Amino acid sequence: MTVIDWGYILAAFPDLMRGLGMTLMVSLLAILFSLLLGLAGCALRVSGIRPLSYAMRGYVEFIRGTPYLVQIFFVFYGLPSLGFTLSIFWSGVLALTIWASAFHIESFRAGLASVGREMHDASASLGLRRLPHALLVVAPIALRSALPSTLNTVVGTIKNSAYLQAIGLVELTFVAVDRIAQDFRSTEMFLSICVIYLVVILGVSALGHRLERRLNRPYGSR
Amino acid sequence: MDLLFEYRVFLLSGLIETLKMSAVVALGGTFCAILLTMGITAKPRLLNRASYALVELLRDLPLMVTVLLVYFMLPMTGLGLNPFWSCCLAISVWGGANGAQILRAGLASVGKGQRETAAAFGFGPVKTLLLVTLPQAMPVIVPPYVGLLTALVQATSLGAVVGAQELLRTGQVLIEQTTIMQGGSPAYLVYGSILVVYFTLCTLISLVGARIERHFLKPYSASSGALAEDRAHEIDAAISVRT
Repeated sequence: MTVIDWGYILAAFPDLMRGLGMTLMVSLLAILFSLLLGLAGCALRVSGIRPLSYAMRGYVEFIRGTPYLVQIFFVFYGLPSLGFTLSIFWSGVLALTIWASAFHIESFRAGLASVGREMHDASASLGLRRLPHALLVVAPIALRSALPSTLNTVVGTIKNSAYLQAIGLVELTFVAVDRIAQDFRSTEMFLSICVIYLVVILGVSALGHRLERRLNRPYGSR
Repeated sequence: MDLLFEYRVFLLSGLIETLKMSAVVALGGTFCAILLTMGITAKPRLLNRASYALVELLRDLPLMVTVLLVYFMLPMTGLGLNPFWSCCLAISVWGGANGAQILRAGLASVGKGQRETAAAFGFGPVKTLLLVTLPQAMPVIVPPYVGLLTALVQATSLGAVVGAQELLRTGQVLIEQTTIMQGGSPAYLVYGSILVVYFTLCTLISLVGARIERHFLKPYSASSGALAEDRAHEIDAAISVRT
């Protein structure tokens, strides 16, 4: 194996950090939008209105049953020919949001399903109305039990932002591949981005676990 | 639609390549999963730690990075691989890491008493695994494993990034050609159809998977079968495949 040229990594560092900035920006926006859409979609899914509920189910099944890369290409290359043009950045945000919200809908739904019947009975016997019941009883329990899979999707959103290099978004992976095409320093570049991705992803996971522990405190140590 | 019909032979060749890649990564992924599971459950501490670290590393890195890494780094080790095989290798190793997690959780779900009883009956480790542990672990393993297989089929689309001539790549070529020759991009039609093809493939795999799942639940009575199914889906949710 070749010896690693640390000087080259140092020289590439500013570029890599700019790429990381883009990765984080796209991911952050997509995480935000997908969580909101996920909540809204889950509300429709369990609304009891048949057509809406089926539509959401179909959406989740379709997104989970198709490759994410093809979804990105459809959004970036396909939508303009339907008269809907977005920049690379916003195409990326949209594609990531579409992907992640399908997974969020499913985990929120599973969270809601975990709220036992006795909770509804207890609320009814206390005379709680629908809205306070939903917000003060069901939501805290459902969101807690949905948290692990939601966090998994959040981390997945950051990881999947790497796919956006395929449409030319200048994020972390794109920067590395672009430099490899110029300087052929693949060992140095892959070592760098692997370390950067690991730091970011393990960091976000650790934050998520802290949040989980904090939220589970009322239920004793788990 | 005329366009798709006109280039059906070309697109079909891409689909066949995708199916070939899917078969290779399904087999390769399972092979890697078994190897890594053996590593994780092995007694020697060093081997055990190393396999565990490898599994975590592969599950935490974006799959796109793994695929590109293998594609760019393999030639440096003297193996000049073509896009098809380097992509299959990367996806197989990734699938192996996710599969190992599923297999380990499945085997761990079978109570220790079962293995002790088997040992008391004079079963060796291989016999115990094949005749006692594995059949009981199957209801827990199959549902998430089918999910993994669909993820592997979807992952083969990454071949387009490194230049394997699979379905997505043929679609890209077709779009480039017709945009140059006829003007006006048919991208939404081509990519839309490719989405439908993948969706059909994955739905078929899920349907077959559901049948296999039923087969392994058959020995259990209705109530305990439902219990095993519940447990399986619980584990499925907990260890869902990380992209």
